Amino acid sequence: MKAEPQLALELAGIKMNSPLMAASGCYGYGFEYAGWIDLRDWGAIVLQGTTLEPRQGNPPPRLAETPSGMLNAVGLQNPGIDYFLREVRPRLGELGCPVIANIAGESVEQYRELAAILDGVGEICAVEINISCPNVRCGGISFGRDPAVVERLVSAVRRVYRGPVIVKLSLEAGDLAAVGRAAESAGADVLSLINTLKGMVIDTACRRPFLGNVTGGLSGPAIRPVAVRAVWEMAGAVAIPLIGMGGITTLDDALQFILAGATAVAIGTANFLNPHVARDIKTGLRRYLDREGLHHYSELIGAAGSALHRR
Amino acid sequence: MDRDNKLEHRCLLLENREVVPGWHLLELQAPDLVHASPGQFVQLRVGRLTDPLLRRPVSIHYAEPEKGRIRLLFRVAGRGTALVSGFKAGDNVDLLGPLGRGFPCLDEEEPAIFVAGGIGLAPLFFAAAQRSRVSLPFEFFLGGKSGSLLPPEGYFQAHGIKPRLVTDDGSRGGSGPVTALLEEYLETNKAPLRIHACGPGPMLAGVVELARSAGAAVHVSLESRMACGVGACLGCVYPFRSGDQVEYRRVCREGPVFNGEEVLFES
Repeated sequence: MKAEPQLALELAGIKMNSPLMAASGCYGYGFEYAGWIDLRDWGAIVLQGTTLEPRQGNPPPRLAETPSGMLNAVGLQNPGIDYFLREVRPRLGELGCPVIANIAGESVEQYRELAAILDGVGEICAVEINISCPNVRCGGISFGRDPAVVERLVSAVRRVYRGPVIVKLSLEAGDLAAVGRAAESAGADVLSLINTLKGMVIDTACRRPFLGNVTGGLSGPAIRPVAVRAVWEMAGAVAIPLIGMGGITTLDDALQFILAGATAVAIGTANFLNPHVARDIKTGLRRYLDREGLHHYSELIGAAGSALHRR
Repeated sequence: MDRDNKLEHRCLLLENREVVPGWHLLELQAPDLVHASPGQFVQLRVGRLTDPLLRRPVSIHYAEPEKGRIRLLFRVAGRGTALVSGFKAGDNVDLLGPLGRGFPCLDEEEPAIFVAGGIGLAPLFFAAAQRSRVSLPFEFFLGGKSGSLLPPEGYFQAHGIKPRLVTDDGSRGGSGPVTALLEEYLETNKAPLRIHACGPGPMLAGVVELARSAGAAVHVSLESRMACGVGACLGCVYPFRSGDQVEYRRVCREGPVFNGEEVLFES
């Protein structure tokens, strides 16, 4: 009998049953879907962003639909790290899959403090450093542009957090490869890319910006080709594994990211269309591997000819 | 994991009827959704492609458990709803639900008051029909732009609802805002009351104000653009009073029905 193709992996020590991850900010704390969706369909879930203090978030409207995409301007609404530890942490074990925290701060010190608090928290298997949120005034993307700042920030987190450190990047970083290399040399274990792209919609009837925050982050299939290109380029620039994301909706989309050099892929917006997207892509990926005579999906990582080999 | 609790349902469309110009009534075979509470909604997938991308939240307008059917009533407001208005009997409609929290205390003995503005009647119709079925007392106040833009009386009477109507142009019922009907009623009826309202923001703000002066409990069903519909994306929030702070709550999860006293309506 032929062996079933394998999807399991270890991503910087995180044991995942598949390379499919729920993207931060699109999946709450996981509980929102838990009553309905078998969360074991996910290799890991990245929780919504957490800050030191509670954040109210941006005024509505926070959503605008765009061609094959959407803008969001949530602005990191979250109840803060104390609430997280007290109310969310004890229930994370119920989710049944690895859980990654996403942290955001307004200074290097705040990122360091959050990472120090989460160090040793057993329910969390890694932290993802968000230095790419387009929707917050201080923090977020302003840290992700300058390789020197990225290096300082990632080093600070690295010194206090013993588990895997993932750095989430944005295309808004002018020289993406330089930012990626800075994160790598500061001790990042994994890079995830891309975060949403800053955009805006104008309400022509009112002659005003549509979103309460004026601008928002673009996600969905509209950004996919840009994201695939970013992963491809980053694969040629760093040696650490990549989590690719940006508009993944179908198996073919996920394959593009893997072929471009991503070890894992994250799915965000597509959950809103198809809450079973993880199950569907996972099933499709197994069938694809079987059909192609491959034993493990990792045979496809960077197989598109890849910047990896030209490095 | 309770896998019996399904989120996504493919439902056969039995009928798509334009009730009044721009308002469509979908009748669906949806046995898993018939036990929804009035005020709950579904997230309707507009198409198989990705443009338009997002599902559309639609109130459950009526449920018939004996037949395994539900009805959805919506107004064509943009590209998404225009596409849905073209769905044909025999199509399969992809719904997530039932979602959100509905109107509370619908089974209490004291009279309930429903105040609907335009298409806001969609979830209130379901709530009133439920009370009518078990012979609980209620009043149904309905306001609209013009008589021809509101369903005919028979539409309501078949379900034991006799709405008192007003229209902006006075073409049916009296003329004026629906809040005037409520105001008049509250002046002559002093019993402890519960009001349920759905409609445009300014109307809801007016209803809450009247309820406050009358000392009546008031629940409002809010409308918002949504992405996930289940509370994960924090996209559909509305501002609320929480002590002396403003707090954003999720219309899809904590709502869409809220205690009207706590909502911060735009002034």
